[in-house]
Amino acid sequence: MSSDLSTLSLRKREEKDMADRHSWILDSRECHKLHCAAPKPTTSADFLAVKCVDIRKGNHGAPKWLIPWGRDRCASIRGFEEAASQEIYANDIVFSVHIPFQGQEMSPWFQFMLIILQLDIAFKLNNYIEDNAIVTLDVAMAYRDELSDPWTELARSVEQRKLQCAFHAPKTADNQGRSYECDVLPLIELGSVAHKYYLVNIRLPVHNVKKINMGIGEINDLHLVTIFQNGGFTKVWFAMKTFLTPSILIIMIWYWRRITMMTRSPVLLEKIIFALGISMTFINLPVEWFSIGFNWTWMLLFGDIRQGLFYVMLLSFWIIFCGEHMMDQSERNRISVYWKQVVPIAFGSCCLFIFDMCERGVQLKNPFYSIWTTDVGAELAMAFIIVAGICACLYFLFLCFMVYQVFRNISGKQSSLPAMSKARRLHYEGLIFRFKFLMIITLACAALTTVFFITTQVSEGNWKWGEYNIELNSAFFTGIYGMWNLYVFALMFLYAPSHKNYGDDQTNGGAAVSSAEELQLTTTITHADGPTELYRLAGKEAQE
Amino acid sequence: MPAGLHLFLAALPLLTLLGQPVDAYFGLTSKESLSHYTSPSTATGSNHNRPHLKQCDLLPLTRRQKRLCRKEPGLAEALKEAVRLGIVECQYQLRSERWNCSLQGRGSLLKRGFKETAFLYAVSSAALTHSLAKACSGGKMERCTCDDSPGLESQRAWQWGVCGDNLRHSTRFLQNFLGQRKGGRDMRAKVDLHNTNAGIKAVKSGLKTTCKCHGVSGSCAVRTCWKQLSPFHETGALLKAKYDNAVKVLGATNEAVGGHESLGHSFAGRSPRSTDLVYLEDSPSFCRASRFSPGTTGRVCFRETTCDSLCCGRGYNTQSRMVTFSCHCQVHWCCHVECQKCVQQQDTYTCKQ
Repeated sequence: MSSDLSTLSLRKREEKDMADRHSWILDSRECHKLHCAAPKPTTSADFLAVKCVDIRKGNHGAPKWLIPWGRDRCASIRGFEEAASQEIYANDIVFSVHIPFQGQEMSPWFQFMLIILQLDIAFKLNNYIEDNAIVTLDVAMAYRDELSDPWTELARSVEQRKLQCAFHAPKTADNQGRSYECDVLPLIELGSVAHKYYLVNIRLPVHNVKKINMGIGEINDLHLVTIFQNGGFTKVWFAMKTFLTPSILIIMIWYWRRITMMTRSPVLLEKIIFALGISMTFINLPVEWFSIGFNWTWMLLFGDIRQGLFYVMLLSFWIIFCGEHMMDQSERNRISVYWKQVVPIAFGSCCLFIFDMCERGVQLKNPFYSIWTTDVGAELAMAFIIVAGICACLYFLFLCFMVYQVFRNISGKQSSLPAMSKARRLHYEGLIFRFKFLMIITLACAALTTVFFITTQVSEGNWKWGEYNIELNSAFFTGIYGMWNLYVFALMFLYAPSHKNYGDDQTNGGAAVSSAEELQLTTTITHADGPTELYRLAGKEAQE
Repeated sequence: MPAGLHLFLAALPLLTLLGQPVDAYFGLTSKESLSHYTSPSTATGSNHNRPHLKQCDLLPLTRRQKRLCRKEPGLAEALKEAVRLGIVECQYQLRSERWNCSLQGRGSLLKRGFKETAFLYAVSSAALTHSLAKACSGGKMERCTCDDSPGLESQRAWQWGVCGDNLRHSTRFLQNFLGQRKGGRDMRAKVDLHNTNAGIKAVKSGLKTTCKCHGVSGSCAVRTCWKQLSPFHETGALLKAKYDNAVKVLGATNEAVGGHESLGHSFAGRSPRSTDLVYLEDSPSFCRASRFSPGTTGRVCFRETTCDSLCCGRGYNTQSRMVTFSCHCQVHWCCHVECQKCVQQQDTYTCKQ
């Protein structure tokens, strides 16, 4: 599945989708104009900071924004050799970056913006990077929506980042002027791109006594790399969500109606499937449409929470599904029976939630914040992630053990099947079929997800296919998302209880079924459509 | 810029114009004098309405190149920066060779097919690629990455997300700018074209890919990678290595075969790769002053390492004097150095006449 194809299919769907008709037409025109060029999910743009000179002495008064180019551009220097001869000091130099480039505008369709700092530091014998060097940045960010507007401050902070640089040549006089290889430093994370123009001003203040910005080498250049979601991808994504929401919602309503039509109250497995449907709908709900009109910076965090909820539901579903197909005679049907498996899920997801609140939650207040920049924070974050990892391992151990148990019981039951009464045998055959069926599609989905994930990590993600330039990453994201939606859809569709056949048979012709069997059959029953056929046949034969 | 270069350039007489430029090359390989590039820039703060138009007129460009230059306000500045970068790097990399990339005699060199000519072409195109990409990311040019998608406004392409990267743009632009889309007329032109492309490739091969994860909770489920230009020093060092291992190709003009394939024969036995520098004829010694170089007379050398080869066996003069220099410096990252003055006896070796 590629996003080319999805944009194409979106064009076909546009007639049906009256609500968003206008935007689809717009989409398809764009698609035509771009020859259906599929955009990557995200773009990065590299901005080289212009070295502005703040000519006001003393740096007092209202903050002044220095713009790298355009009509009111700042007085700038090309290199720092110039500064030395002009008696300009470090505190007067402001690295200025205007996002985006000339003639372009940012747009809410970009959804989020991450800004990463890259320093180009040269080695000098008398000015090298000391061990554990920390660079102190005085960062300020501003925005405006019209080129003639004044700049409005968005955030301002003094941030410290650890310099992790390596010099791969011997530190001799010969190699002076060669560059260090430095790790990138995360600088800003914005959860929404509500404005058209952004400006970042960075100072590297030097203080002799406080040892601020001493021993950080000779900084020659400063780059800001900006990462944001592509507008085109956002549109495809929104379209997909808008289409998927009603389809999952409709099947959910149908499924719940089937359950309420039953004379008994819903069993645990039915409830968890319904909960899975709800969490899928929760992800699908295209609330992101609002981010186009409103400046909702919490969208990133909200998205994380929604995904987290879905994972919790999916993992719990797998456990409960295995448990309900255990086919031993014990009564389950209560969530408390599964506490051993559910506790790791809950605990692990809580850990990740706290971690996420510490990172993206705090970023709502201070976009420069990152938990990884301080030693304590990094250790804490690492601890959360490790605990979550242990929980995940525990969970999978439990899950594998349960799957093993089910298979052991299945083989045990299969050997004794011929000796059973017909209804009972068909019941077990149905259970086995259902379990194996779900095992297969779950494994297939998981395998596909893993393969896609590895491919996106390894490859550059660009395939030429005839005239089309297929963007693998976009295709994978939409493909995987669609696949899991289909998975949930199929679960509700296939595992909805049958309202006509078996229940009636049980009440009418129940004489054939012993009371012990009856108990077990009612506790574990949710019939799939596939097996329903089986049951119907079984019921008829049993009556005869 | 090294101080020596200034002195050298001050002493450099203006090169005579060698007729109108026939090839559309530019920079170190342009047949015009380069002395005005290395003077400090005066462009900033100009009150001229559209200062770039004037700058384009001042540059030694062909008519087609001038047209391109006028269309893009930031280009003139980037071109000037490219020439400066190229000269500085060429002279830095060849500082201890007999031919030290002196601009004197450059015109005669460009007419021949020496290793040195190859290096000039490669360094020139590499510097152009580098500084164009840098000018793009510095926001100095208006038409950059989004220029690739024809028939679509740049703003539209930017928002949809089909804009390319700076380097791809600058390579494509450069190929258009240097007017070298089709193969040259003769072997010389082909060699020059090959070396120009080798320069561009050197910049490309120095790209470093960096990635950032930003999936759920910052996991690597979603990852964005970008390519990062390496410092031009690294590209220069790479080209220097290519220069040392340049491949000689047969000089016979082979008009029947077009494209790069005709470079397939070499004396060394291996056919040149597209990243190799190629040359047609063996270089002169560059020992004595000639129309190619000012010779090595008076060049400063290091006694243990370079004096023997640099002075071509003529021997060297030793001069001993007390030199005052800065020492025990305390340097801040920018612009501020506190030093003590130290005095030391220093021997200087210069090649004899």
